[in-house]
Amino acid sequence: MSTGIERHETEEALAELIGDRLLERDDHLNAPGFVIRPDDVQSVLADLREEAGFDMLSCVTGQAYDDRYETIYHLKRYADPTREASVVVPTATDEPVSETAEPIYRAADWGERECYDLVGIEYEGHPDHRRILLPETWQGHPLSPDYDQDKPQIVTLSEHANPIQPDHRESDTMFLNIGPHHPATHGVLHVKTVLDGETVVDLDPDIGYLHRCEEQMCQQGTYRHQIMPYPDRWDYVSSGLLNEWAYARAAEDLADIEVPEYAQVIRTMGAELCRIASHMLALGTFALDVYGEFTALFQYTFRDREIVQDILEDLTGQRLMFNYFRLGGVAWDLPEPREEFFENVRDFLDELPAKVVEYNDMVTSNEIFQVRCVDTGVLEPEVAKSYGVTGPVARGSGVDYDLRRDDPYGYYENLEWNVVTEDGMDNYSRVLVRMQEVEESAKIIEQCVDLLEEWPEDDREIQANVPRTLKPDAGAETYRSVEAAKGELGIYIRSDGTDTPARFKIRSPCFHNLSALAEMAEGEYIPDLVASLGSLDIVLGEVDR
Amino acid sequence: MATTMKHALDGETFTVEYPKTAPEISPRFRGIHKFSQERCIWCRQCEKVCPNDTIQIVMDDQRNGEQYNLHVGQCIYCRLCEEVCPVDAILLTQNFEFTGDTKHDLVYNKEQLKAVPWYKDIDPLESREPDRGAWIGEGDGEVDYQ
Amino acid sequence: MTGVAPLQSGETYLLPERIADLTGLGEFGVLGELVAAFVGAFIVGSLMLAMTGVAGPWAKRKITAAFTDRIAVNHLGPAGIFIIVADSVRLLSKENIIPEDADRPAYDLAPIVIAASALLGFAVIPMGSGIHLADPEVGLAYVFAIAGIASIGLIMAGYASGNKYSMLGGLRAVAQNIAYEIPLVVTGMSVVIFAGSLQMSTIVEAQAEPLVTVAGLSIPAWYAIVNPFAFVLFLVANFAEVGRNPFDMPEAPAELVAGYQTEYSSVYFVLVYLGEFLHIFLGGAIITTIFLGGPAGPGPAELGIVWFLVKIWGVFLLTQWLRSAIPRVRIDQLIEIGWKGMLVLAFANLVLTAVIVALIDAPGL
Repeated sequence: MSTGIERHETEEALAELIGDRLLERDDHLNAPGFVIRPDDVQSVLADLREEAGFDMLSCVTGQAYDDRYETIYHLKRYADPTREASVVVPTATDEPVSETAEPIYRAADWGERECYDLVGIEYEGHPDHRRILLPETWQGHPLSPDYDQDKPQIVTLSEHANPIQPDHRESDTMFLNIGPHHPATHGVLHVKTVLDGETVVDLDPDIGYLHRCEEQMCQQGTYRHQIMPYPDRWDYVSSGLLNEWAYARAAEDLADIEVPEYAQVIRTMGAELCRIASHMLALGTFALDVYGEFTALFQYTFRDREIVQDILEDLTGQRLMFNYFRLGGVAWDLPEPREEFFENVRDFLDELPAKVVEYNDMVTSNEIFQVRCVDTGVLEPEVAKSYGVTGPVARGSGVDYDLRRDDPYGYYENLEWNVVTEDGMDNYSRVLVRMQEVEESAKIIEQCVDLLEEWPEDDREIQANVPRTLKPDAGAETYRSVEAAKGELGIYIRSDGTDTPARFKIRSPCFHNLSALAEMAEGEYIPDLVASLGSLDIVLGEVDR
Repeated sequence: MATTMKHALDGETFTVEYPKTAPEISPRFRGIHKFSQERCIWCRQCEKVCPNDTIQIVMDDQRNGEQYNLHVGQCIYCRLCEEVCPVDAILLTQNFEFTGDTKHDLVYNKEQLKAVPWYKDIDPLESREPDRGAWIGEGDGEVDYQ
Repeated sequence: MTGVAPLQSGETYLLPERIADLTGLGEFGVLGELVAAFVGAFIVGSLMLAMTGVAGPWAKRKITAAFTDRIAVNHLGPAGIFIIVADSVRLLSKENIIPEDADRPAYDLAPIVIAASALLGFAVIPMGSGIHLADPEVGLAYVFAIAGIASIGLIMAGYASGNKYSMLGGLRAVAQNIAYEIPLVVTGMSVVIFAGSLQMSTIVEAQAEPLVTVAGLSIPAWYAIVNPFAFVLFLVANFAEVGRNPFDMPEAPAELVAGYQTEYSSVYFVLVYLGEFLHIFLGGAIITTIFLGGPAGPGPAELGIVWFLVKIWGVFLLTQWLRSAIPRVRIDQLIEIGWKGMLVLAFANLVLTAVIVALIDAPGL
């Protein structure tokens, strides 16, 4: 197998593999792009997966041009995410029908549904061809050119099943709506479940309740300033800087901006602080799901997250919606007096190990906790890969994949830290991974603080010189991702030569992780479903965007 | 279990009694805006950069500023208006306690924006970007030259 | 029965009789005794309601806050105790929303059944200082039987609400109660073997003897000390029975929203909530009576009620501690523990108790 993959290392080899199915080349800034016919999708993707080792469908982007619709499959390898390939599938405007990729990658299931929903491309052979973000009865596809953006729509309930209607049919199973308002759904998620007793026989996450048109808002903002405040609001539970970095990375790639080293270190430190805050919250809310309301653990994690947020407030001026990164650097230098800031960070890092011991006392070594979490919500690595699962969820299934190491950005390459993986594949492993990642993040922060303390005063360049109006070359396309708290957060941007993006697509880690929920929870009990959902650590703001 | 009991007995709390004890605000914190009419040159850059059209500027036909309206309820506190302002006429104080009975009460005109008090006499701009001029103490309320 | 003077002599002087004697109601014969009994029941009922209704929720909030490093209520009154008054006004003045699909008489009765079953249980508990309403010979059996009625209330609430979550909660409650009622009663039986009686007063008296006397300090023969194994078993089974963490399956807010009480609001909710607290305290009272020597404690016998309350609150504190610190088990695991673990252990305990009793009674000891 490995020899086969290596044979397809170069772009030419890939083009050769696709052979005469290749219509033309459409290279993106991040990867070679291969344009193929809509009815070749499955055969090309199957070859790329089997022969060339592209085992990850990172993202499915749909977009509308004036003369055509286009679906882009962003492929990667779990073993080496820097090896990328984009498969571009154009379809005609009058009949946008393309073959589905769902049999090759399960991740295409939700990805293509989203493209259908927002752009209006239809996928032939898709097993579940429905809208995903917008209500079933929505008229039109908001990102298609002929859609009237200003026309208000009333979504009727007559076609949309009334969820509280009494159901007097007789059967052995019971249909249960979990959510959209349920204590354990971490937001407005609606999981349609079919129960046999307490066992979950079938489940179908119904998302979109928090759809805020984030992609379109970004398409209306200018690159230089107006987009940056919004990434904070995708994953709004304290991983703001990580999200901002995703946009910064994609846009800097697109406009070819170099970030000064000093700013990279500050970025790295800020991002890891955010990761700690986010993982603390994940741990605390997971405790809510498994323990019951108002547990000590939940409060302790919040207490510690509070310290992180105070530090971030000192640094960025806000507790959640940071808007701290700028293209080419960060908004400000560290707060004065610098010594005080370093001392705060160091105090936090010094106290952290004792707290981690406390968490281990209370959680991972608790026997009831183990009984609840070990071997529940099992996600096999192969299944995880097929769904495009990333982040702590993938690493809890033994998939050794972390973009900070595998596709280095920022200052991570120059620092000493480890990627944490666990082989348990269950809820327990995912908790363990998060707790150990907190420790690894602490290591990174400590090294960053050391560096920043030593940094010569005349070399503290926080922002590269970026023009006030940024207009990347027309037609430039890129897809760049970073390791956010929940997994791979990718941004696809296509420029049309103006100062706003022509297409801005967000690859949300929560979206892909949530799509694997059915694999984890079917056949298990309701409490395990709740625990699995908690262990995925989704934020609906990012799932629905 | 022992851990929780230890916490119960040490009597420490990490929450604060909010209205009685105000939480500590970082000097960089971005709260409600303050506007200085004597500084403003009506270049409209803040209006242009605002990501969600929170700022509305009305000028007469000689390009003299007439109105400066800011919807503090719609604002996302991104601070871009302060960042692009060439004369530091608009900046974000650390005040975070403002209320209104209806959302229309949160639309501030320039008089209201001028009257926003400084927070504990900390200059927010100084802590954010020390090299930029500060105007702490100026424009507290009534001053209006136009 | 020698050693420390028994709190009550063989024939218990019950509260209704005392009231009858004090007020002269006894002269009116049966009717007078009936009135006295009502007065007595009213006093005890009010005491318990005040404790559970006012002090319970307040203490719950304060204790949980202490475990979680928070401040909790502190604005109204000393340490915020009057928040309960404000809360009750708020709860009682809310609209009582009754679901369309509710099965009416059952839906209305369930909260009353839950609350009343616990209150009735207190009738046979000797609380010290002469507060003891009734002392039937089957006292222990009675209290188990009455407390068990609560599960009927739970299933009524569960199915009558016409809500699927309530239904699941109700079913869980029943499964759980059946699984744990048996170990509970069997473990309780071990106490009966010790005391040789089901009568509460006899059980309390039997625990008054000193077990050993070390350097002038006599350790009383509380059954928790004589047979700690039974005590722990009973404690666990009791938590499961009243549905406290880690066995709060019927409610399980993260899974079933609030289980059987999802659809209850306003007054009904108050009753359900009160019923739950009463059951925790009744559980505490039973444990106190049959394992912790009832109202026994240092000092004069008049302090009995104080010691009794201290012990009940001790049990309550433990429930809150567990709630803060322990994850809840899954329903199937819970049932498994109940049938495969607790039941077996309960019977083993019964045998163990018989051995201990035989050893104590054996000549030469």
